[in-house]
Amino acid sequence: MAESIKRKTKRQDPRLLILLFPGILMMGLFTFYPIIKMFIMSFFDWKIGFNQQSLFVGFQNYRDVFADPIARRSLVNTLYYLILTVPAQIILGLCVALLIVRITRFSVTYRLLYYLPVITSWVVVALLFRYIFSNDGLLNYFLADVIHLTNGSVGWLSSRWPAMTATAFLGIWKGIGWNMVIFLAALQAIPKQYYEAADIDGVNNWQRFRYITLPGIRGTLLFALVMLIIGAFNTYTPIAVMTEGNPAHQTEVVLTWMYTQTFDSLKLGYSAALSFIVTSMNIVIAVFLFRAFKAK
Amino acid sequence: MKKKRIKKALVIRYLLLTAGMLIMILPMVFMISSSLRPNAMTFAYPPKLIPSLSEITGENYRYVLGNASFFQYMKNTLLVAGTSTLLVAWIASMLAYSISRFQFQGRNLLYRAIIMTMLIPGLAMILPQFELAVRFHLIDNLWGVILFYTAWMIPFSTFLIKGFIDDIPREMDEAIYMDGGSILTVYRMAILPMASPSIAAVSIFNFLFSFEELAWSQTILRSDRLRTIPVALTQFFQAHNRTDWGFVLAMTCLSMIPIVLLYILLQKYFIAGLSSGAVKG
Repeated sequence: MAESIKRKTKRQDPRLLILLFPGILMMGLFTFYPIIKMFIMSFFDWKIGFNQQSLFVGFQNYRDVFADPIARRSLVNTLYYLILTVPAQIILGLCVALLIVRITRFSVTYRLLYYLPVITSWVVVALLFRYIFSNDGLLNYFLADVIHLTNGSVGWLSSRWPAMTATAFLGIWKGIGWNMVIFLAALQAIPKQYYEAADIDGVNNWQRFRYITLPGIRGTLLFALVMLIIGAFNTYTPIAVMTEGNPAHQTEVVLTWMYTQTFDSLKLGYSAALSFIVTSMNIVIAVFLFRAFKAK
Repeated sequence: MKKKRIKKALVIRYLLLTAGMLIMILPMVFMISSSLRPNAMTFAYPPKLIPSLSEITGENYRYVLGNASFFQYMKNTLLVAGTSTLLVAWIASMLAYSISRFQFQGRNLLYRAIIMTMLIPGLAMILPQFELAVRFHLIDNLWGVILFYTAWMIPFSTFLIKGFIDDIPREMDEAIYMDGGSILTVYRMAILPMASPSIAAVSIFNFLFSFEELAWSQTILRSDRLRTIPVALTQFFQAHNRTDWGFVLAMTCLSMIPIVLLYILLQKYFIAGLSSGAVKG
């Protein structure tokens, strides 16, 4: 009996094509093909429009990207955003999860409210933070007139590092809830017996965390790291709405700069090269993380 | 003695959680309260977290509903988000089922390609995708947004749903095969109902994504009557000299109503949502 089923599922059932076709068509046409196309374009001085010849230029686009101070700055800004947002989101999200996991009353209320920024649209929160971080905004009022930390207003969005830091605040604030939820699920999946055994052995809180909790959430930690790093490279909306790359392209991140170069300057080969560089960085980091976590 | 210490620890927990929560919701409270103050007052110094009763006005909301085709934008956005979410739920669940249950030629290659695409920033392909959209006459067409969103969301959705289907025991499949059912019957009668929690969770994320996506829709949708909410919001902001915060914040508040309603109705799915895929890693 089992044999016949096995044969049936292993056989190349033509109906499998019905299941696979829509997905392969959609991804093939709208994802796989564009990836390959993008790679090819990055070696051409690419033109759109009739009667325009695209010239093969070898690695010239890549040289242009690396020689372009704004492209380099946008890469550095992206990494700055990544380094600020990824660890902070994970640590704060994990802290909230550790606090929530041991309470019973109002646990759902806390979760719902901490999660609220996650479901709110990026455009909405980016506009809101632009308002809060503006010169006469809530934050400056708080810093200057409530806790007297600064004198007068700080131009948060009018120079590079303060503006990048402001967008990073937005990223962290919006991401805490997501991290809380996935770490909460991971914490709840750790068998209670481990902690009970630890209590009998009389271990302290740090040891409990280090030897039971941390190994228990390793898989989730890897998942969160990979997702957040991809997310950081993917940053477009917070910058496009909060700073628009201003002042004078000081706060461009890779994707905003690529977008500008594509649709405003029509430097198509150049932006294909830039895209390919980001994509490769993403893949290298992800593969490295998977290896590092698997090795242990 | 020990009991007392536990109680104290619990109080500290609640205090920390409450403090953190206040910081988290403070911007939202500020958004709502500012949207209720007269537009001229939104840059008055010092800013107010809670407007005084005499200040509260619906003027900003009246202005937005009277001067922007808000309901048209909302209709477009819901149409785009709803259609692409349904398409992904259907396509990704079939893919996930095939990859999880069957050995076919190219299966591993397909799965690896799906994982790889997850690692590529969606926007990175915007240029060749734009060329495709031009060629298929999808510029200034809601389908141009729907089809590309669908393609972007398929890999991650397939990945999560496949993880879930892997854990569904095969007894039901076998029973259906014994009754002479085909692999399509198994998909319809066993996999779809049993994988529905993961499909629901993924769909919520897909809906949120397509509800808020900005870059692609601002590229594709050119005419005002086709704009989605994110595009309309940024246009509205720029058209109001980037300073009429009362109007802008009223529009952002209005734009969040469908999402908040969904959130209240489906809170269990929102929160339980990504956990399934995340714990497995």
